[in-house]
Amino acid sequence: MTLSEAQATATILQSAAIRVQNVTKRFGRDGQQTVALRDVSLTVKPSEFLCVVGRSGCGKSTLLNLIADLDRPSEGFIDVGARKVGVMFQEASLFPWLTVRGNIDLALKLSGVPKDLRADRIQELLETVQLSGMGAKRPHELSGGMRQRVALARTLAQDCEILLMDEPFASLDAITRDAMHEQTERIWAERHLTIVFVTHNVREAARLANRVIVMKPAPGRIGSQFSIDIPRPRRMEDLSVATSAADLHELLQEQEAGHE
Amino acid sequence: MSEYATRPQKRATAGTERGAQLAVPRGKRLWDRTWPPLLAVIIALLIWQIVVLSGWRPEYVLPAPLTVGQTLVGQFGEPKFWLAVATTLNRALVGFAISVLLGSAIGIAVSRSRVLRSAIGSLITGLQTMPSIAWFPLAILLFGLSEQAIAFVVVLGAAPSIANGVVSGVDDVSPQLQRVAQVLGAKGMSMYRHVMIPAALPSYVAGLKQGWAFAWRSLMAGELLVIIASRPSLGVQLQFFREFANAPGLLSIMLVILLIGVLVDSIFSSVANGVRSRRGMGVVRL
Ligand SMILES: Nc1ncnc2c1ncn2[C@@H]1O[C@H](COP(=O)(O)OP(=O)(O)OP(=O)(O)O)[C@@H](O)[C@H]1O
Ligand SMILES: [Mg+2]
Repeated sequence: MTLSEAQATATILQSAAIRVQNVTKRFGRDGQQTVALRDVSLTVKPSEFLCVVGRSGCGKSTLLNLIADLDRPSEGFIDVGARKVGVMFQEASLFPWLTVRGNIDLALKLSGVPKDLRADRIQELLETVQLSGMGAKRPHELSGGMRQRVALARTLAQDCEILLMDEPFASLDAITRDAMHEQTERIWAERHLTIVFVTHNVREAARLANRVIVMKPAPGRIGSQFSIDIPRPRRMEDLSVATSAADLHELLQEQEAGHE
Repeated sequence: MSEYATRPQKRATAGTERGAQLAVPRGKRLWDRTWPPLLAVIIALLIWQIVVLSGWRPEYVLPAPLTVGQTLVGQFGEPKFWLAVATTLNRALVGFAISVLLGSAIGIAVSRSRVLRSAIGSLITGLQTMPSIAWFPLAILLFGLSEQAIAFVVVLGAAPSIANGVVSGVDDVSPQLQRVAQVLGAKGMSMYRHVMIPAALPSYVAGLKQGWAFAWRSLMAGELLVIIASRPSLGVQLQFFREFANAPGLLSIMLVILLIGVLVDSIFSSVANGVRSRRGMGVVRL
């Protein structure tokens, strides 16, 4: 292999942060098998903000689990290189025996942040998710939206290069959600993260994404892709965001009609 | 329910406005919790008194509560009584400590190994149903009338419950939380330390509580069967009072046995409920 060839290979490898190749995922044994994903191929570029939309049950969470290596594909393969993957799950899944601070602290500890740096980091993360005064609370004392934000803080506490987020802001009010969008976008830009973000809200997708993929259900496949080139900073209320969201919505509906 | 709702407020630091306001309701809450068992005790004593008054048995066989109470207070002045209590508590402590070590070790081993689980998993549950008194003939054969014989049976009574507590605790750790921990970078030991152990804690404490109840029962059976010369214990005291047909003495020792059992059990209960309520699980009253 010549030097230029090696470079070319490196560039190809670099040009994909996540490579999903012909992935099929089946659940259950023969007889009553569910095909959650069928022949899904997808490439996510480094520092891309990718949103995934699609009907409930079309395999979005399954896809994220596979990328995070929490489950193995039935067929095909997935490559994220040596990148560290962080996941924010659909349920907040906080550790109930730890306080809010303890949950974030554990994430920092497991990422190898030394003890004397952790207190400041925790404070900073709590401010990012607007929960500064809540550090001493237990998860069961929080509202659903607060728990989601603690989960976000805990996810951001990891030092990861790829961030998978599964409907992270589903139970937030509009104003808090706007703030979380800004923070997510800020951290994405600062840390050059690659984000795969699942949402049911087409407007949210248009607000955040560089690219949106629309998934089709039963079995889960990738339907169409949609690139969003609206300059940042964007806001939910922007006309361009609304227009893109409307287009996306139409696409979803067309797909629905085609499905029937 | 109301107990659970007021829990978080308990953590308000003393001296703050909230803490000061809470001082009164807290006393009331203690009272709310004490009066039902207190009433039950009074009713039990009343029934006892009525049975005595009915003349069903002569008073030298079934003495009145007051007589037993006086005998009990009288016992407090006797060194032999305290020696007996000390011996019995010492045995309970040693037996329970061995059970905790052994039960936890077995529990961890079984929860980690599939082979061990299928080999002895059901045996552990089976052992729990074995009445401990049935072990004594064998224990006496193996160890003679000795401390070891008693400890052997106490451990056989308590260790399975503790092991079971560990196994079911580990089995019930939510797979979702394990997945979260895995993504956060926990593996091997750190997974155990930060997730499995804390998650299994409520079940473990419940196992300890049940283990204690079995240990205490086995110990009493043991002290009645395995009598070691010149070593007074609560069991020996019981036998002694029966032989001398001293009913008040007998009943007073029984009261002591009951009280120690209940007291230790309530300590386990409060620890268990503390652990549970801190993580928003329902408080169990047993
Ligand atoms: N562990 C599992 N065992 C069996 N079937 C599963 C499992 N996980 C997911 N499925 C099935 O796979 C399909 C896709 O599920 P998935 O959770 O990925 O959907 P989703 O797109 O995330 O839906 P939602 O938007 O409602 O979260 C569903 O039909 C579901 O029943
Ligand atoms: Mg999902």
